[in-house]
Amino acid sequence: MQRRDFFKKLGTVAVVTAVVPAMSFAGNAKPVGPNKMDFKTAVNAITGGKTPQKSNKVKLKTPEIAENGAVVPVTVSVDSPMTDTDYVKAIHILDGKNSNARCIDVFLTPANGKAMFSTRIKLGGTQDVTALVELSNGEFLIASQSVKVTIGGCG
Amino acid sequence: MEISRRDFMHIAAIFGLGAATSSFASSKAIEQIGLKDIYEFDSMGNFTLMHICDLHAHIKPLYWREPSTLISAPNLVGTPGFLCGESFEKFYGLEPSSLDAYFDTYMDFNALARKFGKMGGVAHIKTLTNHIIKERGKENVLFLDSGDTWQGTGVALKSRGEAIVKAQNYLGIDTMVGHWEFTYGKERVRELIDKLDAKFISQNVVGDDPFSDEYEELIFEPYTIEERGGAKIGIIGQSFPFTSTANPKEFTEGWSFGLRMDTLQDYVNELKNEKKVDCVVVLSHDGFSVDQEVARQVKGIDFILSGHTHDPSPKPITINDTVIVIAGSHGKYIGRLDIDAKDGKVKGYEYKLIPIASTLIPADPEGVKLVDELYAPYDKEFNEVLGRTKGMLYKRDTFFSTFDQLINDAVMDEMKCDISFTPGYRWGTTVLAGENILMDNVYEMCAITYPNVYTFELKGQKIANLLEDIADNVFNANPLYQQGGDMSRLGGATYSIAVSNKSGERISKLMIGGKPIDLQKTYVVSSWGGNLQKAGSNLQKDKIRPVYDVVRDYIKRERVVDVSNKANVTLVDYNCGCPTKGSRGC
Repeated sequence: MQRRDFFKKLGTVAVVTAVVPAMSFAGNAKPVGPNKMDFKTAVNAITGGKTPQKSNKVKLKTPEIAENGAVVPVTVSVDSPMTDTDYVKAIHILDGKNSNARCIDVFLTPANGKAMFSTRIKLGGTQDVTALVELSNGEFLIASQSVKVTIGGCG
Repeated sequence: MEISRRDFMHIAAIFGLGAATSSFASSKAIEQIGLKDIYEFDSMGNFTLMHICDLHAHIKPLYWREPSTLISAPNLVGTPGFLCGESFEKFYGLEPSSLDAYFDTYMDFNALARKFGKMGGVAHIKTLTNHIIKERGKENVLFLDSGDTWQGTGVALKSRGEAIVKAQNYLGIDTMVGHWEFTYGKERVRELIDKLDAKFISQNVVGDDPFSDEYEELIFEPYTIEERGGAKIGIIGQSFPFTSTANPKEFTEGWSFGLRMDTLQDYVNELKNEKKVDCVVVLSHDGFSVDQEVARQVKGIDFILSGHTHDPSPKPITINDTVIVIAGSHGKYIGRLDIDAKDGKVKGYEYKLIPIASTLIPADPEGVKLVDELYAPYDKEFNEVLGRTKGMLYKRDTFFSTFDQLINDAVMDEMKCDISFTPGYRWGTTVLAGENILMDNVYEMCAITYPNVYTFELKGQKIANLLEDIADNVFNANPLYQQGGDMSRLGGATYSIAVSNKSGERISKLMIGGKPIDLQKTYVVSSWGGNLQKAGSNLQKDKIRPVYDVVRDYIKRERVVDVSNKANVTLVDYNCGCPTKGSRGC
């Protein structure tokens, strides 16, 4: 082996190590799934322990029976004036039974004009889908609906 | 608004007299009296809606026995949609052994069938609708079809739906919605709609393929406005909301279904406020109990003409000023709804569920000719006698029926599996005790576009979970989470079920091959007509064969089939098949 080649190799290794120092460490461990977080922990992490209020101001639109559990459409809209003093700060979509209950956190400002968000989430089985909404006054509102994920029955 | 049922009861009385001596009332006088009673109607208002649902391609008359078990969650049992036999008779005040009791219940079916004969058939339906049109005037009548029309018989399958479209054109259907129609695939659905004289409408079928021009667009016109008797009638279409879950997704890839009650409300408002219609009708394939929920949540619908769950409902039900009717299945009935509507308001209505007693209502010769032509290419195959049955073969019931048991027996015999699954569809046929079984009857039970029997492996735990999942689709206390079918039928297995238990905790004492299920063990499973093979592994590709061929060969081998009438399911929380409201018994 020539000296130049040796340095080349050494250099490559050094660069890799420098960029992702955690990589070699993780490589030794078994692959793990997404960070586990159950529903209650997730809600507490968002609200800081405050109890969210059930509210019909939060409109959660999602099918009763999912056509495809891998892409379940969810639309959350909140009845809010969206002014500087009264607006929706955040919309969180959570599920009840997936490994990690937090699906998405959407942060809003009055400039959004309308508190509405639409996405598709993956559900591993029949469970509740929840919209947790943070208002500018520090209050939390909540709405839930059960979504059935089934192999299908009969005609 | 009282429907007189007495008319029908006295048909029974007349038949009762003759029955002791001759099996059929052939005297012309008796037939005329019977016919008058069938036609009898206090016509009113400015127009008539004629309603048919769930024909399931039965253009010829047939025998069709209603369920002897129709179990649901305790809050629903004994209410319209979950009435059968004794509880049905009590609820609607039917005279036992009358023509109505024969049409609407299972009771004494085999004997009454020999007395009253077959039911339905497009040639007989046409004679009745001609009578109504003559009475009311063509310009005052609309004929609406709630779907499940193109599928269910051999002639439908072999002509890929076309024979039935021709029959609908002959009947003069004006508007329809769909469910099993979609199992011919998107392209064929479009071809058939081109051949169809009726309008195909649906507000709840929307494109969901982001790369398609149809993305987020309606696939069909959501509604139609028709003028009859000087009234503007707005008709909104509602196809089966769970088509993509209940049937293979590939047939409707890129189309999304669902109840879509929010857009339904928007269309109701649009028709009332902008289009200024006099009457809002929803032509629906949601199912009877789901439509009762729709009436609770959507405001301003005048009439829902429902379908899917095959209920014969002699009386309409009213929820929040919305009147809901449903007209049975298999061409056994036509619902006649006379409406008085003007100045944007419905002022009154009259309804009658008319039984198509094909021995009493004469056949229209043109219809007989059409049906003969449509069947001609297949007569040789369909009329083959495969064997004979000792007892009555029927479909329906919540857990078990004899024709399904015969299919499971055939599948188990050929596939050598531990357990077999046959779907809990509500369409099929009835073969009376001692009669021959024709190939046509086998198609009446199995004619679907995805007929293959799959044999594969499933862990015991998975089988147990799947059964719970299916049970929740049938017994959920909230109708919006039901799919309107019955439990899958099992071969090689027995179980007990407590319907009112929580989801996931209903089934107990599950036995396979006479032994308690071993959750860790791998079982060989055969199934058809569903999606179960997708949950399994080690699919035996060389064994895949259409179910109608498997059943045909089995009956031919057996020659005489003797299927036990004893169910393989024990119902824990009810002590009869047709409980009355608020009770656990009859």
